[in-house]
Amino acid sequence: MSATAAVAAPSVYSGGSSVIALGVLLAEFGMFRQALLRDQVRLYAVQSGLISVLAILVAAVRHLPDLYVLAALSAALKVVIVPIVLRRLLRGIGRAGEDEPAAGWTEIAGSGSLSLANTVLLAIAVAAFGFFSVRALNIRSAVLPITALEISVSVVLVAFVLMIMRRDVASQAIGFLSLENGISLAALVVAAGLPLILEVAFLFDLLVAVVVFELLIRVHHGRAESLSTADLTSLRG
Amino acid sequence: MSAALPIPVIQFLQVATIGVAAPGVSGVIAKVEARLQGRRGPRVLQPYYDLAKLLHKEALAPEGASWVFLAAPVGAAACYLTVPLLIPVLTSFGLPLGYMGDILGGGLILALASFLVAIAASETGSPYAQLGASRAKTFSAITEPVVLFVIFVVALVTGTDLPYALAATVRSSASQIVRPAHLLAAAALFMVILAETGRIPVETHTGTNEFGMIEEARPFEHSGPYFALLKWGSWMKQLILYTILLNVFVAPWGLAATAQIGDVALAIVALVGKAVVLGIVVAVIDNSFAKLRLFKITEFVSAAFLLAVLGVFTLYLGGG
Repeated sequence: MSATAAVAAPSVYSGGSSVIALGVLLAEFGMFRQALLRDQVRLYAVQSGLISVLAILVAAVRHLPDLYVLAALSAALKVVIVPIVLRRLLRGIGRAGEDEPAAGWTEIAGSGSLSLANTVLLAIAVAAFGFFSVRALNIRSAVLPITALEISVSVVLVAFVLMIMRRDVASQAIGFLSLENGISLAALVVAAGLPLILEVAFLFDLLVAVVVFELLIRVHHGRAESLSTADLTSLRG
Repeated sequence: MSAALPIPVIQFLQVATIGVAAPGVSGVIAKVEARLQGRRGPRVLQPYYDLAKLLHKEALAPEGASWVFLAAPVGAAACYLTVPLLIPVLTSFGLPLGYMGDILGGGLILALASFLVAIAASETGSPYAQLGASRAKTFSAITEPVVLFVIFVVALVTGTDLPYALAATVRSSASQIVRPAHLLAAAALFMVILAETGRIPVETHTGTNEFGMIEEARPFEHSGPYFALLKWGSWMKQLILYTILLNVFVAPWGLAATAQIGDVALAIVALVGKAVVLGIVVAVIDNSFAKLRLFKITEFVSAAFLLAVLGVFTLYLGGG
């Protein structure tokens, strides 16, 4: 029996941090499954929370006290404030629609072209591309296992699939915000020692994105009376 | 107390434990499920009474059914009695017959049993039994890739595909437990087991006449002792799958390290205890989720496939 072919286990720390990073990726995949915007926002909050947990883990094990501040700020912003803003926005839209109460809560436009199972298979292929392309770059990180970077690139790519496949403005916005989560994960791996002020500046960029998306969603809803982008394609001449 | 059991006796005890405990585990699950729904539920020993009752009943075969119809329940039960020889049921060391087949061998025998039941169902003219057989085959074809990827994970983790080797690897250190590949493979296997044992996201296993039936519809035409064998077989299949999940992936502790009587007795108690705990988890899942529509089952399986594939990715790329 040749046990030499076996892949050696990573240490508990790097195994555990990979599991948390995988949780971020699985949350991204979970967004395909959610049929309600409210659930999607909740899943976004969970995903952001996982990134904060990972930041705290890195801070504790690698002795980077800056990261505690970053984790707290990121949790406050992405787990609490952004979901609240999104929820209020969607609820407002639901109320504006005349008879059906809270239409914005239930209305979600699937891809229409691919079934959910096929979408997941497509996303697996895209995620595989992310995994293998980062592996080819041969990057080493001092604070986290490189698997986390591979996963973060996969999160970004899968978020793109989500944005392409969904045809309503709100879940496209959530796809964009979760894409930013993937970038935060990558930042944790390659630049955990970055000055705090820079990281915080990036976080506040997110706030700007939320405001812009809020505006876009309101304008679109005002014009089309729905969140679906299907109406936009009909404008083509 | 310190007397060592002969190895063939332990080998026999593995099969006997699965065969005797399987209806009981199923009875406990039914009881817990009923309690969670606010019913009193059947007695825990009800499955044994059911078996005893069915064994005394007359056996009927539909007109035109050949000998296959009657041979299949016996063959399937024989398959389910063979698999426990191949997996670590009681001991952490490999028993002589344990090396007859690897994980693929065990999977082959389980698939053979399910195939026998399916052809027996298609021997009858009953549309229900045939529908159940064809659905069961369709969905087991969909879950097959998931199982394959789980086996790939096992092979990459241990360098072999023997179940004993993986159990030993998992026991060896904490880093083997938290590694992402192991957690992902275990989760994927758990989802496959939910599908294969006909549990809630895929199939309701209680009611009888329902359009969502898959596994439960197959023995519709069997009666008497043959029906008893099929029932017993499906309970054994459930306990075998639980044993694989528990003793190979999730909790390979409590197995006998020696052939001492005390150790082996403890291992039997531990296995039944762990299976009951897992059964309670399954019953809770049964009560907290809705059954998926038949055409949504692919979504459930694609989630399991995602977990298994990510497990292989993380391993192959060195991080798992």
